[in-house]
Amino acid sequence: MVLFSVLAIALKDLLQSAVALAVSSLLLGIIFFRMDAPYAGAFEISVVAGLITVLFILTIALVHKGDEVRESRLANWVFPLVFVAFIVIDALVMKGLLGKVPALASGAETGTFGEVLWKGRTLDLVGQIAVILAGVFSVLALFRKGDKHE
Amino acid sequence: MSNTWFFYVFFAAALVVAGLAGLLVKRNLIKLFICIEVIGKGISLLLLSTGFAKGNILTAQALVITYIVIEVSLVATALALIINVYRTSRSLDIRRLAKLKG
Amino acid sequence: MIILFVVLPLIVAGVLPLIGKISRRVLPDLLANATLLFLLVYAAVAGRALIAGGAVLQDLPWLGEDVNISLALDGFSLFMLVAISLVGLAASLFSIDYMEHYGAKANFYALYLVMIAGMNGLVLASDLFGVYIFLEVAAVASYALVAFGLGHDELEAAFKYLMLSVAASAFIVAAIAVIFGMTGRLDFAGVAAALKELNAGPVLGVASAFFLLGFGLKAALVPFHAWLPDAHPSAPAPISAVLSGLLIKVSGVYALTRIFLNVFGLTPALSAVLMWLGVISMVVAAFLALGQKDMKRMLAYSSISQVGYIVLGIGIGTPLGIAGGLFHLFNHALAKGLLFLTSGSVQQATGTRDLDEMGGLAKRMPVTAATNLIGALSIAGVPPLNGFWSKLIIIVALVQAGHPVFAVIAVLASVLTLWYYLLMQRKAFFGQLNEKWAAVKEAPFWMTAATVLLALLCVGIGILFASTVSTWIQPAADVLADGVHAVTGSWGF
Repeated sequence: MVLFSVLAIALKDLLQSAVALAVSSLLLGIIFFRMDAPYAGAFEISVVAGLITVLFILTIALVHKGDEVRESRLANWVFPLVFVAFIVIDALVMKGLLGKVPALASGAETGTFGEVLWKGRTLDLVGQIAVILAGVFSVLALFRKGDKHE
Repeated sequence: MSNTWFFYVFFAAALVVAGLAGLLVKRNLIKLFICIEVIGKGISLLLLSTGFAKGNILTAQALVITYIVIEVSLVATALALIINVYRTSRSLDIRRLAKLKG
Repeated sequence: MIILFVVLPLIVAGVLPLIGKISRRVLPDLLANATLLFLLVYAAVAGRALIAGGAVLQDLPWLGEDVNISLALDGFSLFMLVAISLVGLAASLFSIDYMEHYGAKANFYALYLVMIAGMNGLVLASDLFGVYIFLEVAAVASYALVAFGLGHDELEAAFKYLMLSVAASAFIVAAIAVIFGMTGRLDFAGVAAALKELNAGPVLGVASAFFLLGFGLKAALVPFHAWLPDAHPSAPAPISAVLSGLLIKVSGVYALTRIFLNVFGLTPALSAVLMWLGVISMVVAAFLALGQKDMKRMLAYSSISQVGYIVLGIGIGTPLGIAGGLFHLFNHALAKGLLFLTSGSVQQATGTRDLDEMGGLAKRMPVTAATNLIGALSIAGVPPLNGFWSKLIIIVALVQAGHPVFAVIAVLASVLTLWYYLLMQRKAFFGQLNEKWAAVKEAPFWMTAATVLLALLCVGIGILFASTVSTWIQPAADVLADGVHAVTGSWGF
């Protein structure tokens, strides 16, 4: 999954990038399923691999000349270099560090997912509605026709 | 904290770093946004795996779902911006957007 | 019903586009401003009574079921609510005239109200993730608002702002994940209690660093400030006013302060970091402001500098320092909001933001010139305006806490501030009237009304500073000075 994500960043063709991102999302969704998080997995697949990919491809279609941007040659090797360096350092260091993280044993989780979401994190839902409104209004505002400000 | 948890956090960190590195070096606006998406994946993986390790998978799911919803709004707004930028300046190169200096 | 602060703007925002189809100007103007006025009155009048008995917590039942919407209103939250409502209302009144030539007013107000709802939600939230959600709500609304004019500069600024903001959000969520991993809780009270038990040392340091990165970026502290000087000038004037006057403080300073002081507890290391960040922002931004020709850009750098003051004051950690920092937050919100609004008036009248092209506008726009002067002197810290008192308190607190060097730097930075503001005032308003502007008129009614309102507040609070401090600032400062106890004591759900 990480491989596909990195591919998504590194690939030149925008459409291939979008596809790589979609595949990566799919894989992430499967990982979520394996972590006993079916709701998150379903959400990730349907929303990120689905909806966001569609939006991406829509945008790419609307700016079809976009792939003429030449990335700097510097970028082409800095990015993989930094990434690989991080992976190496991280692999060596992280396990030891994480072992040292103190943690409280947490109580058993009660209730079903529905209860946790609707009753435990209700304010989050209000926030979700708010952020959806923000997104909708933003798109409406940014695509409006007519009098513009110069 | 099992072994798998270490892996998950490791991958999550890798994703976030990849995205951040990409943000620094890439020039195409849409690519930049893909970097932002990758960061988002890393963060949702981090959230969920943390919840998984603690046994609080339900709460973590609720958090991740909310996070994904936020991400969608963000994507919609950002892509709307990108399309508008393309319309006004006919280019997706971030170097062209260097009129304003920080 | 504290939830009104969040829900009311959202409902009105949801309805606005429909209303906008019927009535393009009058009804949206009326609705939006009435909502904000209501919230202001509610906060100012009812708020004090509500918190008289300690923090108010709301666990709301909904449709008969016991849902958990936990909102917490204490001195600090109330203080922020009042600030948000005040500046929000002023900018909204200003928009009645200013946004005319942008078009799509109903849409503008809808986004604006969502942003206000987000900010209100942020200050009322009682858990870490709630803070994050509403931070994003306000942020997403703000990106579109910055780009509202759809001109090239605005779009560029909005996109850069978005990119940096997303990076900040990533750090904030990472920190939340770390805290959740350690403590298994997200609510302030639970986290604070758990952290005391845990003795988490270095990992807490990592989480703090992430929070600092994320919120510091939102607050535009140096060296995370790069997005602000582009975003704030390009946005429409009322949005600049709200961004500089409110958003960087709510999503940056408030969140940082709440978490560091009430949940983590202010350690000497943290205090030192905050103070240094504050001082650096204060000085660097002041110097950068000096060379600016664009009026709004100068104001933007000044915002960064003043946020430095605020963080410096709060970072001292003593009750006096915190009070000074909070007071300055309030004063700066009023004064910087005022200044961005007057700059909008100037921009609308002359069509330019370039200071070198202006001159002598005071003869044609006397009210704007006067209110601008008041705002400028307030931020520069000239008695008897409000800014003077807040800066004085911070400086005294610095000396008392044993940081005389910082105090001297603060005074010097103040002098610098005064200098570039007087420069701005002189170039734009005083001096010879540039012939180009011979025909300009004073700004339209609502624009002047909004600026006059804020200017009067600056003067009034300056004169009545003692009662303002004791009524509004002190309760907020007390909550913060209490540190972790404020949250674990009365907030246990």
